Order: sequence, then structure tokens, then C-alpha cells
Amino acid sequence: MYWEREFETLERNKLRSLQLERLKRTVKQAIQSPFYKELYQRKRISADRLKHVEAIRELPFTTKQDLREHFPYGFLSLPKRDIIRLHSSSGTTGNPTVIFHNRHDISSWANLMARSLYCAGVRDTDVFQNICGYGLFTGGLGFQYGIERLGCLSIPAGAGNSLRQIKLMQDYGTTAIHAIPSYLGRLYEVFQAEGLDPRKDTDLRLFVIGAEPHTEEQRQRIEDMFGVKAYNSFGLSEMNGPGVAFECTLQAGLHIWEDAFLIEIIDPETLEPVPDGEFGELVMTTLDREAMPLIRYRTRDITRIIPGVCACGRTHARLDRITGRSDDMFIVKGCNVFPMQIEGVLLKIPEVGADYLITLERINGVDEMIVEVEVKKDWFNGDIARLDRLSKFITHQIRDEVLTKPIVRLVEPGSIPKSAGKAVRVVDKRVFDSVKL
Amino acid sequence: MAYQVSIFLENKTGHFERVTRVLKDNGINIRSMTLTHTVSGWGILNLLVDQPEKANQALQESGLSSALRRILAFGMEDHPGGLDDILLQLAQAGVNFLNAYGRVLENGKQALLIVDVDDYDLALEQVSKIDLYPLNDEMVYGN
Repeated sequence: MYWEREFETLERNKLRSLQLERLKRTVKQAIQSPFYKELYQRKRISADRLKHVEAIRELPFTTKQDLREHFPYGFLSLPKRDIIRLHSSSGTTGNPTVIFHNRHDISSWANLMARSLYCAGVRDTDVFQNICGYGLFTGGLGFQYGIERLGCLSIPAGAGNSLRQIKLMQDYGTTAIHAIPSYLGRLYEVFQAEGLDPRKDTDLRLFVIGAEPHTEEQRQRIEDMFGVKAYNSFGLSEMNGPGVAFECTLQAGLHIWEDAFLIEIIDPETLEPVPDGEFGELVMTTLDREAMPLIRYRTRDITRIIPGVCACGRTHARLDRITGRSDDMFIVKGCNVFPMQIEGVLLKIPEVGADYLITLERINGVDEMIVEVEVKKDWFNGDIARLDRLSKFITHQIRDEVLTKPIVRLVEPGSIPKSAGKAVRVVDKRVFDSVKL
Repeated sequence: MAYQVSIFLENKTGHFERVTRVLKDNGINIRSMTLTHTVSGWGILNLLVDQPEKANQALQESGLSSALRRILAFGMEDHPGGLDDILLQLAQAGVNFLNAYGRVLENGKQALLIVDVDDYDLALEQVSKIDLYPLNDEMVYGN
């Protein structure tokens, strides 16, 4: 039933004590980094001042901007020779967000990942196919280490190539899969095109989905199509990646591992904690990371803590679905995209204006990012082939920047609202909801 | 040297009419046209009109992306095989087109083939070698 009963079912007051002990240790460790050393000395903060967990509210927030400004080693709390891996965000606009891990961090992350998978019902008898990009992106290796720690037969399939994915499932009798929900609709279409029914022609029983927003209806559709149970997961690269919060088999919210992360929900405007059970921005502190502790990191994800206790017996709080962001980042096909990245790409292309409009839309069950750009009037010469080349060039440039292929639409000049003031740059036509309990 | 007017158009209801309204308001007569669209939701409208400069200016002033584009126009006989005759010559000269369309000047007698090429100067050189010469503007735009 549990991967680590003693941690997962720890009484709340004992969990709180454990958090305080680990918080103090984390603050002590963080002060070894140039960023926190300077910040905490200036603000006269020390671990000894923390008498209870709530005292964390006296500490300053850490933001993505801080991470970028102190790129690459400003947050490193250990000598570089102790570091064994880094994961980094995509993109060439500005500094990427990079997270470093030592041996302990990688092991601790693998354990959280194994605990998460176990919680969703994965067992060592499963054949687990990880349909997810490997490399700097955390979803590949993050899951890989967890699947191995749990003891499944792992298939590091990587992303894309649906026919090969299906062949792997059939050759090795895959029972469990991790993939982004929007890909699974597409995969199902390939099954159909091949004259196969995944309910009859595979041994699939369990999916782990996540990394992009989706509705309860989408989940149910995936479950119906494949004849499986699909469990929602949550993670972010700044907090390792996957393995932060996972649904248990009751599918009633995502258990967030509070022995590894201290969570707060704040009002993004006032920065004060919101009343219990209300929606706000998730703020997280690592409690078990040595190479790069982060304290009060503003995730910008809007969610809430689901009130009450879960019938599964785990005492760790449950997060609701992520309902939005307190900044302008959006997620499409599992990729985090900031409108600034698109803007950065377009600014380097003299043939187009700087105005653009991003529309997120579900087309044939797949989430698409449509980028509309205006072709400059004086560049236009009536040559259709030249326009077509430009359109393809923009598509590739954006793809290289955000790692997902957009649909680029060239539009007539003046048809996009000008960037004066707070112009709308992103229109999200997808529909998401929160868990109804 | 003859020109067509090329206009960038989104494939949206009413956008074509926006162009023809500008032409109507400016008293411009259309002789011939082609409309090409791409799968990406946009296309190009090519117009052969009686006053290309005036049309281009009016379209640009109305906010559209419009450009004058040099074209080659050749005379051909308006009877079965007329187009084939001229195409055979152009093929022998080595001319390749981006786009082509036609216009009847006199029913059963004379017609025009209008071609849009990638390299205008090269095409001109190629046809001159076989003693084929594009028609003058009066013939292309006139009645």
C-alpha cells in the first residue's frame, strides 16, 4: 500500500516537527550559496531564529528572476566537484533556469519518484514505458530513476514516433505509461489507423499523465480509450521535476510530499497566506536538497490545498489541479512557454513586425500553439514562395526556442492589436477545470 | 514593362471584397486575376488591372500589403492549341514560371498569356534568344 509507510502516514504534528528540523538544515545549507549568503546576511536571517515552521513567512521569497540573475552558480551550496548532474530549461532568450544535484539529491529525487509511482499503483511487476523527452528536460531521467528505483522493467522510449511506441508496447507487454495527456489522443488515433484496439491488443493498465493542464473529461476520455486508469502528476524543474505531487489510486487530488517540500499558498498580489482551502499561488521550499536548496520559491502556479484527509491514509496534503498562473507562462504539449521567448525570436526576424498573437487551441484532440505574425508591408513583393519560406523559418526558430512546434500564421498588417500598454498576447481557448469534490 | 498587383490576403470571409471595394472606389478595372491560397491560412491575390500604379497605391493606403510585380505577357491565338504553341516556345527557351494566367483580347482571335517568373531579367534574356518578345503595356492592360 505504501512505499515508505513511516513517512507517508506520519502524524501531522510529527510531520510538522520533521519539517522544522529539515527547514533549519536547509537554511543552514542555503547560506553556503553566494545568493542566500548575501541575502540572509543583509537581512540578518539565521536558522536559529526559526522556532516553528510558520516562521518561514519572515524569510524573503525566491523568484525565477533571482535564478536567472545569479546564473549559473549563484545558488550552488556545495563545491562544484560534489555536483553530479544539472537540468536546465530550454531557450536562448536570457539565462536558462538551471538546477544542480549532488549524489544525495539524485537519490532522494529517485526515491520520491518511486514513492509517487507506488502511490499511483505502479508495482515492480509493471513494464513501464516512459514516453517523454530525455536530456535536459526533467521528465525523462526523473521518471527513469524512479521507475528503476521502484524495480519495474523500464523502457526509456523517449518522445514521439507513435508507431515505434506501439511496437514497443506490443513487443514487451508494456503495462504502464507516462506521457503528456495531449499526446495520448494522438497515440490512440495511430492505434486506430493501424487497426488496433489498445484495450484488446496491449497489456496497458495504468497511465501517469501530467506536465500540462488537462480537464477531468480529458482524463476520463483517455481512460475509456485505452481501458486504463490515468493518474495525474505534478512537478516543476525548480523542485527537481516530476515526483513533487501525485494522485493516489483514489484520484482525489495530488499528494504533495511534505517531508521533502514545505508548501505555502499565498495571494500573489498581497503575498499573504490565503485562508485554508482557497486558491492562491503555490510557494515551495525544498527540505531535502543539498546542492541547491530553494527557499520560498514562487512557482507562479495557482492551486489550492484540498481540505480534509484522504481515505488512502497518507497524511500529506493534497493539491488541487493547477488552474492557472500568476505570470504569463503557459504550457503547451508539456513545454513551458513564456510569451517573451516568442517575442525574442520575432525581434530577430526583420521581415516581420514585433506584434504577435498566440492562440492556444485544441485541434483534433491535440493542443496547438498558433502564432500569428504580421509580414512587413515593405518586404512583401508578391512572391508566394518567399512568404512560405519565411513562414517555415519562423516555425523552426520558435521550435528551437520553446521545443514545441507552433503553427505559424502570417497575417495582414494591422490585424494584430498593437503592443501599447498591456496588450493581450495569449488567448487560451482550451478549457480546464479543478477537481470537483 | 508590364506589372501585376499582388496582394497578401488572409483566407477570411470578406477580405477579398475589401480589395475589390478599394478598386471600385478608385475606378480601376480588372482585366484578369488569380487567387492562390496556402494551407497556412493565407494566400496571394494577383490582379491584372488597367492602372497598376494607381491600384497599388490605393491598396497600400487602405492598409493592405500590396506590391507591383513585373510580369511577362505573350500573345497567343485564341483557338485550341494556342496555349500549347506558346508554352512549347517558352519551354524551349528554358523559362520556368511561378504562376501563369490568361486573358482573352478578342474572342476566337487573340489572347494573352501572363507569366510570373522568379528571375525576370533572366527570363527576358531567354525569350529574346528565340526572338520572342513580351507585349507592351497598352496591349496588356488596354481594351
